[in-house]
Amino acid sequence: MKSSILRQAVILALFALLPAAGEAIYFRDKISWRSAIAPSEMVTVEQARGLGDTVIWVDARPDEEFASDHVPGAILLNEDRWNELLPQFLAVWSPGKKVVVYCSSLSCNASREVVRRLRKEAQLSDVFVLEGGWEAWLKKNR
Amino acid sequence: MKETSNVQRPMLNTEPAAYPTLGVGRSSNIVRFLWRTLGLVVAAIFIFAGLTKILDLDHLIADLQQLQFANALADLRNVSLAKPGEFARDIDNFKILPWPVSVALAFYVPWLEIFCALGLVFRFLYRGALSILSASIVVFTLAIIAAKVRGLDITCGCFGHASQHWSFPSHLATNLTILVALVALLFKATSEIRRQIPFNSR
Repeated sequence: MKSSILRQAVILALFALLPAAGEAIYFRDKISWRSAIAPSEMVTVEQARGLGDTVIWVDARPDEEFASDHVPGAILLNEDRWNELLPQFLAVWSPGKKVVVYCSSLSCNASREVVRRLRKEAQLSDVFVLEGGWEAWLKKNR
Repeated sequence: MKETSNVQRPMLNTEPAAYPTLGVGRSSNIVRFLWRTLGLVVAAIFIFAGLTKILDLDHLIADLQQLQFANALADLRNVSLAKPGEFARDIDNFKILPWPVSVALAFYVPWLEIFCALGLVFRFLYRGALSILSASIVVFTLAIIAAKVRGLDITCGCFGHASQHWSFPSHLATNLTILVALVALLFKATSEIRRQIPFNSR
């Protein structure tokens, strides 16, 4: 009887794979399998520099890392003190500005989280993750 | 000469109620009706849960919640596919699985829910559907508890974004209620088959 339940479950699980695979193929260009941030929501250091004065740099790293060094003019906005730092960021932000958020490196997740929360909670649209983070910025500026 | 058994092996994929029932009379019909209704309610919940992840039903649900049925009808005509990343991000927010797995589950789980729910409606692969749904609700509940313990601010995505403002106790109560119903249905189906299949055929 147990094998019968298992067999039924496997058949159902396989049935469900078909439309799921179809949907995944249909949306193949709309979602990235490598990162939670779509490629269109990421910018390189060069692209960010090209934005000129319209860019607001946001540092999503912990307070002590920001204190030791950061992109000139960057504003601190990390998840540890989100409620405290968000009003300070919004005071600087204005419509038309593009926000570039960075964390330590390519593998860090803080900048993605800050971008996600800025899009969701502050309803900002022109918010991007800096590809490679602080490490990439340092490489291009040394 | 070896004697062969006259007992015909039943088709195990068919519903338990398809076998002749032992109980007779009005009360047994009412009990059977109530079990069937419970199964259909659970199926409806999972069909709704699956559809809210595949289709963008946010406006429709909001209008239904505000009892604006005319607007809801208009929304029905404009239903589109949901943004594929939203449910993946909801799964990713639990911080349990890597992103590619979250994406794969975001495509797969809604269809699994719908197929299992249809199994309950049409009594096809019935116990398999019940066991998958029971296992999945246990996993969802454990994930929600783990997220709460770790202090994560999560949107479970259980019913698309209709459930994004649910509190932790609401999540838990809903999941446990559904789990109790699923386990009861599974026990009922299994005990009926045990009664109706001769012992040497199990």
